[in-house]
Order: sequence, then structure tokens, then C-alpha cells
Amino acid sequence: MKTFETDVIVIGGGATGTGTLRDCTLRGMKGILIEKNDIASGTTGRNHGLLHSGARYAVKDLESASECISENKILKKIAWHCIEDTGGLFVTLPEDDPAYHNMLMEGCSYAGIDVDEISINKALEIEPNLNPNILYALKVPDGTIDPFRLSAANILDSMERGSKVFTHTDVTSLILANGRVTGVRCYDKASHEEFEVYGKIVVNASGVWGQQVCESAGIELKMFPSKGSMVIIDYRINNVVVNRCRIPSDGDIIVPGDTVSLIGTTSRKIDYDRIEELVVDDDEIEVLLEDGEKLIPNVKKTRVLRAYCGVRPLVAISGEMEGRDISRGIVLIDHNERDGVEGLITIAGGKLMTYRLMAQMTTDLVGKKLGVKKKCTTHKVPLPGSEKRIPHQKKIKHFSGISNSVVGSTHYRHGERVHNILSKDKKNYGLICECEMVTAGEVEYAIKHLNVKDIVDLRRRTRVGMGPCQGELCSYRAAGLFTEYGDKDGTESTRLLTEFLEERWKGIKPVFWGDAMREIEFTYWIYQGLFGLGNIENNKGEPDR
Amino acid sequence: MNYDCIIIGGGISGLTAGIKCVHEGLSCAIISSGMSALHFSSGSIDMLGYTDNGDVIYEPHKYIDEFIDSHKSHPYAKCGRDMVADSLQFFQDQVANRNVEFFHNNSSNHFHVTALGTLKPTYLSQRSVFNEKVRNGFANKPSIAIINFEGFRDFHPELAASNLKRNQLFNDFEIFARTIQLSEFNNTNKNPHEFRSIDIARILEKDKNIERIASQIKEAAGNALFAGIPALLGIHDSERVHRKLEELTGLIIYEIPTLPPSILGMRIDDALKTIFADAGGVFIAGDKVISGEIDNNILTHIHTQNYGKAHLTAHHYILSTGSFFSGGMVSEFDSIHEPVFGLQLDYPKGRSNWYSQNFFDRKSHPFLHYGVDTDNNLRPRDKNGDTIQNLYCTGAILANYDPIREGSGGGVAISTAYFAARQIIEKCKE
Repeated sequence: MKTFETDVIVIGGGATGTGTLRDCTLRGMKGILIEKNDIASGTTGRNHGLLHSGARYAVKDLESASECISENKILKKIAWHCIEDTGGLFVTLPEDDPAYHNMLMEGCSYAGIDVDEISINKALEIEPNLNPNILYALKVPDGTIDPFRLSAANILDSMERGSKVFTHTDVTSLILANGRVTGVRCYDKASHEEFEVYGKIVVNASGVWGQQVCESAGIELKMFPSKGSMVIIDYRINNVVVNRCRIPSDGDIIVPGDTVSLIGTTSRKIDYDRIEELVVDDDEIEVLLEDGEKLIPNVKKTRVLRAYCGVRPLVAISGEMEGRDISRGIVLIDHNERDGVEGLITIAGGKLMTYRLMAQMTTDLVGKKLGVKKKCTTHKVPLPGSEKRIPHQKKIKHFSGISNSVVGSTHYRHGERVHNILSKDKKNYGLICECEMVTAGEVEYAIKHLNVKDIVDLRRRTRVGMGPCQGELCSYRAAGLFTEYGDKDGTESTRLLTEFLEERWKGIKPVFWGDAMREIEFTYWIYQGLFGLGNIENNKGEPDR
Repeated sequence: MNYDCIIIGGGISGLTAGIKCVHEGLSCAIISSGMSALHFSSGSIDMLGYTDNGDVIYEPHKYIDEFIDSHKSHPYAKCGRDMVADSLQFFQDQVANRNVEFFHNNSSNHFHVTALGTLKPTYLSQRSVFNEKVRNGFANKPSIAIINFEGFRDFHPELAASNLKRNQLFNDFEIFARTIQLSEFNNTNKNPHEFRSIDIARILEKDKNIERIASQIKEAAGNALFAGIPALLGIHDSERVHRKLEELTGLIIYEIPTLPPSILGMRIDDALKTIFADAGGVFIAGDKVISGEIDNNILTHIHTQNYGKAHLTAHHYILSTGSFFSGGMVSEFDSIHEPVFGLQLDYPKGRSNWYSQNFFDRKSHPFLHYGVDTDNNLRPRDKNGDTIQNLYCTGAILANYDPIREGSGGGVAISTAYFAARQIIEKCKE
């Protein structure tokens, strides 16, 4: 069996895990991160991508609000290519309690969030699609953040500085010696090989799945999962984040993101044993669309692209099943102190917005245990892609000859790394996905440098298949490119294609009407009618008579 | 404007019906809102490819009796076996006049190879996909080269070669993938890596290019007997291009349908439209029928987007507007309707009933079955439940069949069109 040795083992490739790997690496420690699926494929990639100003917490949770605004400012500097500084609005509908408006303003000023009361006309100027019947409007420094890019950039930086990453690899158990965690046993799901990693410390950053990781060391850490569903609508119908000015509830936010807009979110408690089989319920879709329409009436006329859900992990610190010990904030556990098991730290709770802070807190503890004195620099050192900020116009000039939309999209997604992707070779900038302007060069870069193992991973790194057609043509093209740029043969690439289309289908089922239904009929005609893709698994072969 | 027959929808079904009508001397107009499903078809005509269990049907003409017995409301049951056979023969004869020659396997099904290297049973194929030579060629376990044109995104020979090789039948064949470069790609302003099938088809259609391309294909194919290439051999005169290429290379040149647009399907579209127009049919393109007036169970006239208040009238009408994708049916949050006349449709309430849990479910998806429920003469019922006496529905708008799971799309489109046309012709002659 293969074994690896390192300083820090991080379990979980979400924002917190990837951020922790980077922080450790920047402080001179070597790390190995193990992720059971793909980077940002769990809770991290399943939220609405809001770059919080903190205003949403300003009334009920001032601590979170302050954390958010402070991280908001940092991320805008170190990760600008993952962020759109759109600004946000809080609007009060006629049916909402007008008192909340003042409470929010007050809370914001306590937390240090710049908030401006603006006229309704001004609000409509900023966001013309807004419901014109609103009573009040507030402007806050909300924005949008792409969790896939953010996590991938953290990984890229860590790898370039010498750390290692294994994706699509399960941690089957923790290795214990003399009451101390010394490593992890792993199973590579692609090669079906088992291996072991030994390290000085193990960081459990696997979110809601952290309960299982702890169990394997005999530690009880109860998670209380809650499901949040979102609906993606085709076309970007708003340019700034639109929040409803009331106590946070279902369907009260519309976030623009890349080429689409997103209505969030519901909140439903679920049983822990159901976390792997989450589906969006029909009534959630109804609530989200109905409430979304109240904020932006155009929602009704717009095609719904897909729906998805994520699971928020709430942690019970002392192992109690219920009560005040369930924390909604950041939870950092030294299992030596809590359970007498040395060598294991759990970082959980928190939110995407505070991933960097969580990583910093974790790495501080790791540093203390390993005697590493170096201070955190992640609030200053930009992520790969965000090194220099050069305006789009300049980039477009630099790559003259390549269409502006291609340069613009690639720069938007990869920041300065656009220079590692685009070249003036016609093949390089030939489009693979027209909806999202993804080129063959970007696919090549993602497969070779961004830990992409399948088309679903490729979607998270490049947006292939995320647009209106949901991968109708580009998924076949991308499958073909895996034989060229990846280590896949034609048969394996075909399997990736099937898996990708099945994965896309999961998010389309809940919104199966109208144009989504038309699109699916077309996709089914092509992949089953024209290509016979569904027959491949039992490719028995029939004699030609 | 008054016609004997107005056909709403200009796909394979509407065109086939139109051709039959004009040949019998009827005045006939087809109103078409745009490109049809032929543009993403395989270009082969399926009649009946799979049983309900998913087993391949080899002899569809023999199987159809049993099939009709167990599928009483299927469109084939309404047409009857003879009508199905006659209609396919009619179709084959018609397009042959326009240089699109179709072959069947002595009235049995044959297989065609897809872009993913799977085999699909079908009934009629164009000469570059199936003929005597192809059949005998395969029998000798030839080596097969699957060749693409460098930069063409919509066909990946490695996928076809590797899956085909995995098929039991082809296990001991030598199958390999190759790529050739077309010099035309160097002198174009457009990025050749973004060419669609149609751009390359236009290059391959030109006489001056064919000798050079033939020698490139021959070189790439090495010792192979078969050269499988993406179906790009021109639209208007493909048969000549195909023959010439075979002659120059000494290879069997085999066309494989690509991602849309389908050149194989466009050949059929082009041939049918030309035949219809040459015979005196009126093809109104780019207009959409939005409503119709029904009086005493008779459709008196229809309104279109472009004609505004003026209307079109005919003695008889055919509705061949296709399924959801083509706009023949429209689904809402929890209901489905037929947008032109509000015809009665057959489907269950509750959209979670409309689909299967897996995308590639062996049972396909229930929604593919949905459509207009007609009487035995293909006449639909209006929203009051009354049968409209002079309106016939044909092709993919019909209920009670699954074109993909059954492998019956082309056959149903053609046979129902032919059946409707025959009834209209009879009535006009009365």
C-alpha cells in the first residue's frame, strides 16, 4: 500500500478546507488535502454565492455581521477575480413590517457596515427590474462570490507552493496510535486503490460529514443538518443583489451570478441519514418563485433553469442533542481538550464568507501545536488570478484577434491566469461552450492544472454546461477533449458524459416544465435518440443480419 | 386564399403529407415556423426498432401485426400495417427522385453506427450508411478507420472507435481513430475550430476539393477497408460526392451522424421541400399559425402571425407541429396544452409524473408519450370534446407512442402523414 507523509492533513475540499490548506502552506507547513468528491462540491458550492456585507445578520447576530464586513473587505482585495462588486439593496415591500428597516440601519452602523437610505427612484435606477411598489430601499456593500473559483484558487496556490491534493478520494478512517490521531486511511474512487497518509496533525474540515470522520475515532460530534434550496433562472435579470428587508426567511434574496440569477433560499431541518439524498421539493420551488416575483416581477416571465439544494451544518458542541449548545457561529474544536484525543482538530459551522477567518483560526491552533510561529498572511497575499488587477479593456487589447467576449469571460473567471490559458492559436480559443464562452484552451488548462477528473468537475472550474442549454452540445465536445488533454480513453470519456448528463438531470427534474422541458426533449433526442448513450452500459451487440 | 388543404408544420410529416396531396392534384399550402426536427435527426428512417422490453426488432414488417394487437391506440394501429408499408415505399420513391437514395435490408432492419459507436436498428438509410456493399463489407471483419477533420468539435472519433470496439460484434475488428487537416481551414476568417457541420459540408461539396480530400482520407485510412467519417458530404448532391469519394479512395466511405445540424437530415429536408414546390405546393416559411375558427365541428379558417387579420382557409387541415421541442405542445407549471386550437391532450396531472428518475432510464420518459388523442382517422377533439371533422394530426404531436424507445419516429411521421393525406384526397375527389 502506498503511504504519504506530511505535516498537516486536511479532510474536506470546501472553502474552509482549501483555505486551511493554503494558510498552512503559506506558513511553511506542507499539507495534503483529501476530498471525497470534487473541490467545492459539497455545501461550499451549494449556496447562493452572496458576498455578504453582513447586513443580513445586522439585526439578529452582530458578531456575524462584523465578521462578514471585515472579510468582505479582505476578499475584495485578495480574491477579486472570484468576486463581483455589484452592491446590494434591501427593499421593504408593502406587506413587510416597516420597523425592520430602521432596525437594519441601526444594526449596520453598529457593525460598521456602510448603509445608505436611497429614494425609490434611485433604487429603480440602480435596478430597473425591481418591484416599483416598494416602500423603502437601502444600499449596502453586498456583492457576489464564486465559491468554485475561490476554492480552486486556494488549492492552486497551495499546490504551487508544494502541497498535495487528492480529490474523489474517501477518508475511510482515522489512524490512531496510543490515543493519538497520526494519519488517515484513504480510498481512491477512480483507481480503486487504498493508501495511507501520515501527518503531525489532522484537520477535519468536512462540514456536515465531519460527524462521520469523528465517529471513526470514537468521538461523538453531532451535526444538525438543515437543507437550503435555490432556483436558478435563465438570464441575469438583476445586476445588484436584491434582499428583502425583513427577518431572514424563505425566498427573500435574488443574487446575480455570471450569466444567471438565483433566488434563495429555503430552510428545512432534515435527518442526518438523509444528507446524501437531498432533493428540492416542488413546494419549495413554488415558494421561491412566488416570493422572488414579489422582489422582481420579471421572475414570472423568465425561464427556470434548474434548482438545487445544499446542507448547512449546525454543530452541537457538547454533544447535546438540542438546546443552546447548537452553535450557528464558527466552531473550532481541539479534540485533545474536548475528548482527550490528540492530533485532531475540527473546524465547522461558520459560512462561506468567513472561510478565511476560519482557516486562520484553525492554522493558528495547528501552528501552536506544531511550534510554527509564522503569522497568518492570507488577508494580504492575493490568490492566484488576483495578483494584479488589470482592467478588462486592457486585457482585450492584449489579446486582440480573439473575440472580446472570449477574453472577457476567461479574464472574468481566471483573473490574471488568463495568460496561462489564452493564446493566439485558433484551436486554443475555439469555443466549446457557446452559452458560457468556454474555449478548448480553458478546458485544457482546467484538466491539466485544476484537478479536473470529470465533466462535472470541469463545469465547476469553467462553467461548461451551466448556461441555458445545460450542456446540450458542449458536454459531448468536452468528453471528446478528455481523450486529448486528460488520461481518458474513448470509453471512459463516454462514461463521464453519461454521468454528467445524469448529474445535470438531477437539477432539472424539479423545474421540469416550459422551456426546461423543451430543452430536455432535445437533449434526450440527441443523446439517446441520435447517439444511443443509454445503451452503452449494456453494449451487448446485436448481429447485423 | 383558399386551398384544398393547409398543413401546419413543415417537418418530415407535413412535407410528406403535402407531397402526397399535390401529386393527387390538390392545392396545398404548408405553413412552417422554422427548422424542423430533421435538422437533428439521424437521417435514417426508423420504423420499429425495439420491443417493449428493449430487445431489437429485426423484421419490423412481420412484427408490426403483433405490435398493433398489443398497442391498440398507437398511431400504427390507426394506420394499419399496409398503410405503414405503402407510406414508407412512397417516401422512398419520392426522395429517390431528388438524389436521396434510401436502402433497406431486404425489408428487414439494419444497424447504423452512431457518433458514440453504439448500434441503432433502423429501417431505411441513405447509401452512405447502408447498402449492399456496406452489408457485405462488414461481414468480412474489415479494419475500420474512423476519421475526423481536425478542429471539428461536433464529432470525436476516439469515442466512436473505442465504444464500437467494445461491442461484441466488433471485438476482433481492427478499429482506429485518425484526424486529417483540411487546407481550406487555413484561409478563412472564421475560426475553423468553431465550424459547424454545415460549414464543412459546403467545402466537401465542391468538385475542386474532392481529389485532394480523397487522397488525405486514403492515407489516413491506411490498410482499412472502411472509412467512417462524420456525415458532412454535402447537402444537395451528396450521392455524387459519396460515389466519387469511394471511387477515388477505393474505400467504403461510411457517414456517421454528428451533433446538429444533421447534414443527413438536411438532405431529406431539402429533397422534400424541392419536390413539394416543384409539384406546385405553396411553402410559407417563417410564419406561425396562432389560432383557428371552429364552427359546427368544422375548422373554417386559421390566423397566422404574419397575415394578421386576414385569414387562410382550406377544406381540410393537417396539424403536424411536432412535440414540445418544436412547439406543437407547450407545458406550463402543472399543465400541458396544444397552443393553436387548444386540442384535447392525453397526459397525467402533476409534473413529477412526466419524467423518469434517471435521465437514461430503460423505460424512457413518460412525457414522450404525450400528445393529441385522436379518433381512428387521426382527427382530434376540441376543448369541448367534439371531434373536428376536417382536421388531422400527424407526426410527433400524436399521443401514445414513444419515438425514441420504440425506434419509430420516422415511420410514425411518414405513415400518419400518408394516412391523413389519403383521407383528404378521397374527400376532395368526392
